[in-house]
Amino acid sequence: MIDAFMTVAYLMVIGVTIGAVAALLQKDLLRAAYISGAESIALAFLFHALLAPDLGLTQAIVGTVLMPGIIILAILKTRRHEESD
Amino acid sequence: MNETITNLWSIPLLIVIPILTAIVVNLLYNRGRAIRAVSIASAAVLLVISLVSPYGFQWFTGQPGVTYDGTYTFNANVFSWKLSLEYYYGPLQQIMISVMSFLLLFVVAISTKSLKKNFGPYIALMFLTYLSAAAIMMVNDFYHLWIAVEIGSLLVAGLVAASGGGAAQKAALKYTFFSALSGSGLAIALALILGITGYANITDAINSVRINDLSGMYNVLYVSFAFLMLSWIYAGGLAPIHPLKSDVYRSAYPHATVMLQTQSKLTLVAIGLVLLRMFGTLPFAREAMLSISILTMVIGIVMALIQTDFRWILAYLIVSHSGLVTVGISLGTFRGIVGGLFQAVNDVIYMSLLLVCCEMVLYFGRGTSIKFSGGLAKRAPLLTVFVILGTLAASGVPPFNGFQSELILIQAALEQGLPEVAAVILMVSVSTFIALFRAIYSIFLRPGDELQQGSERFKLPGTTLMFLVALVAITLVLGIYPQLALNFLTESALKVVFVPWVP
Amino acid sequence: MIELTLQTLSFLAAALLVIIGMAGMLYLDNLIKKLIAFTLLSDGVNLALVSLGYVQGGIVPILEPGASLSDFPNEAALIFGPGIVLTNIVIGVSTTAILAALIVILYKRYGTLKASKVLKGEHE
Repeated sequence: MIDAFMTVAYLMVIGVTIGAVAALLQKDLLRAAYISGAESIALAFLFHALLAPDLGLTQAIVGTVLMPGIIILAILKTRRHEESD
Repeated sequence: MNETITNLWSIPLLIVIPILTAIVVNLLYNRGRAIRAVSIASAAVLLVISLVSPYGFQWFTGQPGVTYDGTYTFNANVFSWKLSLEYYYGPLQQIMISVMSFLLLFVVAISTKSLKKNFGPYIALMFLTYLSAAAIMMVNDFYHLWIAVEIGSLLVAGLVAASGGGAAQKAALKYTFFSALSGSGLAIALALILGITGYANITDAINSVRINDLSGMYNVLYVSFAFLMLSWIYAGGLAPIHPLKSDVYRSAYPHATVMLQTQSKLTLVAIGLVLLRMFGTLPFAREAMLSISILTMVIGIVMALIQTDFRWILAYLIVSHSGLVTVGISLGTFRGIVGGLFQAVNDVIYMSLLLVCCEMVLYFGRGTSIKFSGGLAKRAPLLTVFVILGTLAASGVPPFNGFQSELILIQAALEQGLPEVAAVILMVSVSTFIALFRAIYSIFLRPGDELQQGSERFKLPGTTLMFLVALVAITLVLGIYPQLALNFLTESALKVVFVPWVP
Repeated sequence: MIELTLQTLSFLAAALLVIIGMAGMLYLDNLIKKLIAFTLLSDGVNLALVSLGYVQGGIVPILEPGASLSDFPNEAALIFGPGIVLTNIVIGVSTTAILAALIVILYKRYGTLKASKVLKGEHE
């Protein structure tokens, strides 16, 4: 028996993995930071599905706002695109 | 041994005072004298507290223990599940934290004098480093051990980066990247231990491992042992990670390195004892620890011998002497543990002596490179005397303290039927002398060519002179009356060997 | 044949995240990329710890009014993993902040984000 909630959970498992790879393959660092934030949303949902809703809330705030925020600040202070060579 | 049955007053103070000082010092922007007064007063208070405090427990959750029938007990001798965050202040903690407070007092006094810019955050990092080492030393709980180790490694990075210079910031960046790796490992180890035993308190975890049947779960125990040992290696700068740690030691200001090396020695002792208490009965556990220690000693001393800079030599010697501390602990016998702990105390003291001398060489405007310097002995004869005394102490020459602990370590190794280990220890102490004397000869004793123009003598600053005299006095006293320190250490070593579940 | 439950799948995802993060930290040349890889690594560790406590068909470990006390220990998810994860998230944020600050300082000094250029030259 797989209900809708669980289906979404399985999708999120795949989404987390794909998001991780996609974030690291970007040449544009700003986009990489956004994608890692999106991956964190999937992770937050997965925490919820794994019976830890409090962690889901924390991860949703920290992983999508705070962590990418710090990284974006660092990017704004340095440079946006990865140097070729 | 009738422990106090109420919460101890001194443990919260030892945790809270450094935090408060760090906050206050951070807020005092650009007011050097106020920062100096506050930090010296706070360090002195910490020293007094650590010296006069009685021994006992502090239960931060309020209840000391739960017996089998579900009632609370306040008696430390009755068997009970502790279930709580527990801090213990015993003789071992007393000597280690007192020595560290003493060093902190003088380090703060020296650094507030010598730094010219706004140094509030720097002093705050110093106090927080003290806090993390004190917490690691006192805590009897895996969870807070993990947090203290994490805080400690972040603070090391901060303190090194604050010491300025591109090399220091690079070292800090590399160190923080690896702290991220080993911190995750420590979290997994903690989760596995919690999963197997059900308790985060170390006493409870050991009891649970001994009472319950764990057959079939030994591989999980080994995995958690491996991750804990990774963090031990990382926090103490043992063999495979020694380049990072020696980078850290050498690129910080030497007076900051005094605190850094003290923190890492205390961490080595504390985590090493936890490893021994929790996993000492596992097959191959002590052998793994012993081989890491021997590797550290050998690599550290070889690297120290090939360096051409006094700071690099000191950095690698600190790494190599960390191996001396851990070799005693990982032998696991009573004499070995006493030797390891005593070596930690001695090491912290004589390395501080050498580091402060190194700081003075830099302060006099001299490079620390072996190739391009010389002739300092004529202009700073007193400093030369101190650095030679430090060298003798570090290489284990009889009237100084290094001799006593290395003697105990060699005896312990021979007792265990490991003459090879004894030979390695001897080799380390001889090579220490060679490495240091090479640097001292070329910096101090060799007639310098371009240095002859100035002939006035360099004058040691008053605080530094006091610090150096005090350190030499301690090395001599501990060398002649080792019993003064050993009295503090024997009880802890006995507990680790015979009743490992007692903190 | 291992049944592909949510727990095994999320363990798999956690292992992949840890491997991707570690490989990224070791092999990518850009410092910011290394930082992002570190956040992925810590996410992977968190996911592994949370999945340790999952109970198939269980409930959230909060005792609601009216719930039966006898079933609760069997049904509720284990809380030791989540207890650690909460701290690990906070530690991850502080480590990220320190790393970002160091990267910005080093960029101002060397004018590049390439790890192979910034971190070389150990003995000067």
